[in-house]
Amino acid sequence: MTGRRPVDIGVAVLARVAIWLIILASLLPIYWMVTTSFKNPDAALQIPPNVIGFSPTLDNYVQLLGGATTARGFGRLLLNSIIVAVASTGLALALGLPAAYALARVRFRGKRQLAMWILSTTMFPPIVAVIPVFLIAGNAGFIDTYPVLIVPYTAFNLPLVIWMLRSAIRQIPAEIEESALVDGSSRLGILRTMVLPLAAPGIAAAAVLSVFLSWNEFLFALTLTRSAARTAPVGINEFTTMFGTEWGNLSAGATLVVAPILVLALLLGRRLVSGLTFGAVK
Amino acid sequence: MPDVARLIGPQDRRARSHPAVLLLAPAVAVLLLMTVAPAIYLLWSSLFRFNLLASEAGVFVGLGNYVDILGSTDFVRHFGITLLFVVTSVSLELAIGLVVAVLLARKGPDLRIAAGLLILPMAITPVVAALVWRALLNPNYGWIDYYLQTLGLIEEPVAWLSAPVTAWIALLALDAWQWMPFVALILLAGLQGLPTEPLEAAAVDGAGRLSMFRFITLPMMRPFIVIAVLLRTVDAFKTFGTVQVLTNGGPGDATEIVNLSIYRVALQNFQVGTAAAMGILFLVVVTIVIQQLLRVMARNTDVLED
Amino acid sequence: MTRPKTAPQRGAPWRTKAGSLLGAALLIVAACAPTGVGPATAPASVAPQSSSGSAPSEAAKPASLNMLYAAGEADVDAIKLAIPDFEAATGIKINLDSQPYTALQQKVFAELAAKSSFYDIIVIDTPWMPALTKQIEPLSGYIGDPAVSDAKQLAIDDFIPKVFYDTAVYNRDQSQLEYSGSPDKVDVAAIKSAGFEIYGLPIQANALTLTYRKDLFESPAEQAAFKAKYGRDLAVPTTWDEFTDVASFFTRPSDRLYGTTLMAGTGDWATDDFKTLLAGFGGNGKMVDGEFKRVFNSPEGIAALTYYSDLINKHKVTPPGVTSFSWDEAGSTYASGLTAMSMNYHNAKLNEGLAGATAYATIPAGVGVGPHFGTWMLSVNSFSANKPWAYRAIEWFTSSAVQTKMLATQLHPSRRSVYEAAKTDPAVASFGNYYDILGKSLAVGVGRPRLTNYGEVDQIIWTAVNNVATGAATPADALRDADAKVLEALKKVPYPAN
Repeated sequence: MTGRRPVDIGVAVLARVAIWLIILASLLPIYWMVTTSFKNPDAALQIPPNVIGFSPTLDNYVQLLGGATTARGFGRLLLNSIIVAVASTGLALALGLPAAYALARVRFRGKRQLAMWILSTTMFPPIVAVIPVFLIAGNAGFIDTYPVLIVPYTAFNLPLVIWMLRSAIRQIPAEIEESALVDGSSRLGILRTMVLPLAAPGIAAAAVLSVFLSWNEFLFALTLTRSAARTAPVGINEFTTMFGTEWGNLSAGATLVVAPILVLALLLGRRLVSGLTFGAVK
Repeated sequence: MPDVARLIGPQDRRARSHPAVLLLAPAVAVLLLMTVAPAIYLLWSSLFRFNLLASEAGVFVGLGNYVDILGSTDFVRHFGITLLFVVTSVSLELAIGLVVAVLLARKGPDLRIAAGLLILPMAITPVVAALVWRALLNPNYGWIDYYLQTLGLIEEPVAWLSAPVTAWIALLALDAWQWMPFVALILLAGLQGLPTEPLEAAAVDGAGRLSMFRFITLPMMRPFIVIAVLLRTVDAFKTFGTVQVLTNGGPGDATEIVNLSIYRVALQNFQVGTAAAMGILFLVVVTIVIQQLLRVMARNTDVLED
Repeated sequence: MTRPKTAPQRGAPWRTKAGSLLGAALLIVAACAPTGVGPATAPASVAPQSSSGSAPSEAAKPASLNMLYAAGEADVDAIKLAIPDFEAATGIKINLDSQPYTALQQKVFAELAAKSSFYDIIVIDTPWMPALTKQIEPLSGYIGDPAVSDAKQLAIDDFIPKVFYDTAVYNRDQSQLEYSGSPDKVDVAAIKSAGFEIYGLPIQANALTLTYRKDLFESPAEQAAFKAKYGRDLAVPTTWDEFTDVASFFTRPSDRLYGTTLMAGTGDWATDDFKTLLAGFGGNGKMVDGEFKRVFNSPEGIAALTYYSDLINKHKVTPPGVTSFSWDEAGSTYASGLTAMSMNYHNAKLNEGLAGATAYATIPAGVGVGPHFGTWMLSVNSFSANKPWAYRAIEWFTSSAVQTKMLATQLHPSRRSVYEAAKTDPAVASFGNYYDILGKSLAVGVGRPRLTNYGEVDQIIWTAVNNVATGAATPADALRDADAKVLEALKKVPYPAN
């Protein structure tokens, strides 16, 4: 670029200030939530707000994890959430990777229509799907099991996973695979030995997005579980009652639910971004 | 790689004859199960008037449920409210997202951290996010009104959720807070992947910053904008938990989106026939909107490009 | 009746009939197979419904019973307090699940719609019951049976009759009918011969009561200032006119103090506020009477709603944002010391850190009186495999001794003897005069109309109330509009409304 003029520096400084103001503002609700979880419950609604100078307490967490406040200990709910999110993400990747590879590399008739249809399944509103799923699962005796959440979550995440993986695979130069094909390798073999390692960043991004969505799902989890497979978001919901919201327990639960996701987001931030661009990246 | 070829052996031949089918079948099966199967059930149910809790069998009413629903002024208005929500929230997120993406596209280690932090609101459980916002917006003990007053921006506390306009502002702000980063990050990836030659050439020609952005950057960004808008639109149509917690449709029915109505009919009253018809109509509207969107926006951009 | 071999199991959700992957596969099969899951046929029942009273004592004693209960709304802490005693007394474990109101309603209806046998005991709120008479087990057969019922423990005479009838007594096929029996004594035989059944035993009786800041009302300075301004003594309001004056008097926005909370946000609570005022202004607080006549779009209804709106918009005695308050926010607003009075379904209290004292009173009266009330009952799931034992459990949980013990965690009892006990029980001293007031409120309370689609009617009313409260509509317009919509909703059921 050309030499820096004072105007450029001024613009650069302004841009920095602006972006950090936006970031800080958007972190405010999260800050509120996390600090509230370390406060005495009554202090949650204090005015003027006690933003920094409060004496932190772990009481809310002790209560929450001790199981004194929920029908079951919150630790169990977190474990359920982890199992469901990890399993549905694993399944979505296992099913999505071959499909994405086919859409990216194999030529066949009706491919375009099929691709369109796969993407269009994301349009199906969960609120509409939940009743038939509930009835079928109820008939088959699957209410309150892990599969009854894992299968729908897998289906919710598949279109996005396929789309992200398809673009990741398309960024790998096709020549490498073609030479392997000529050498007599199978499609599955190529997928395993060449595509998988090269598409790893894209796969990681797709996995994180899939975990995000499964982890936070509420409607299916509420409708299809009772207690054995109940997930953390449904448990958090228990803290809003006629007597007022139990902010201490709620914010502690929410913080525990968000913490692993936040770590994932911070670790994978950039890759998640590039993964989301789908086929638009040439 | 002859070793690999031998290892895979017989499977290989089958895979070669129908590779696409084999690779796609499992994923397609799960999607069929979770979307087409429920859709068929809904289509069938929507022709009956029945309540899951009543012991009587359902009564076949043909298109009666559809006629009732379309004849209800409330339902049609709630459809309008839903469309308004989708259009305003997606536009807002696109506008702010574009600004944020441009701000983040500069170089610097702090901006890498900023991009990471930007994602965080997306990670919050939507229902929890709405509860937290409700507490922050409370005119008596919420932080938002308190600090707006401290800063002298408002004199009296604003009862955000009590008037239609402010309730909509609160709802859109919540949605934008959570999902603007999604748009911004897609656009950021686009900006960073753009070739620099056209911009450099224009700079040499003495073009201004704004006109360079308007006539060079923006057109090149088109595919990314299309994808961001498409994904957000589909998702905005599914919004439910946040609205239920933040406004529950109020004040009056000013924010009563169709998903709330379907929820009440389907999962509080178990009028499955009516709910199914509502769901089918909703699905039709979503499909039409998305198709139109694709037709208009994606004219020169093939998201399915091979 | 024998128990099905595959009784639902708690524990690791993986360990169902099939493994996880098989589970997924079966789901696929279940979805594709033409199993007749058409809309005309509800899913096959897991456990066949037996007629009540068929030798229930023969059923084997289960190791555990599953109970679905409300969170704070029906005081889940009370149940948790009693469970260890039950387990010690019977050797049966209680697996308790609880959810807050909206989620619970969805869960209860979903379980019953699927004819699931999982929950043996389900808590039922009054407005849900009209739609559930086919799913909830009638209890008259158990009540008479010495094999499962202990008459002394049941002491059915001890239930407050009005609460009992409103909550638990229904006609199976015409669930809109109300039983008007003896106001002094619950008589099972009379209920049966009138064609009614008993669908549960009341456990938590909620009624709208007035909470006030005792310290403010008793402050000599406040009393003098009030007398100077209104020419009479400051007292807890007994009429709605007094209520306006007192609320106005205490409204001092610059001191962050307002007269009263209301529950004017969009939700069931706004309907309850309205029906309380409707009764207070001389109307029928049920809103829809036994003949499906809509009785809220009346001069009384308009007067009630005008009064409600005036409190908010003319006298401005409510804190900002009151038109989006639910019971939750009404509770936390009073608790934060923002209002001198509050109306809610429980003993609102001040947060611990705040100075001040709280006491309770009945809701003011107008031409009439009729605070909203609604009671939770424990019911037996008719699809349960352990019905006799579930009955024994609910009889135990609702018994006088157990309810008295539960007072310590603020159960709102359903028995006269427990209100008597509350007068002297040291465990409830911290509740002040709350139980006395609750008992009095229940005596004059007005319940909800019995409609299978009350949820729909409820939403129409609360939307109208909220529209008036926010100033978006006049009382007359809002009620006229609501009247037309309620008529449509009733016709759809179809009820013979016109």
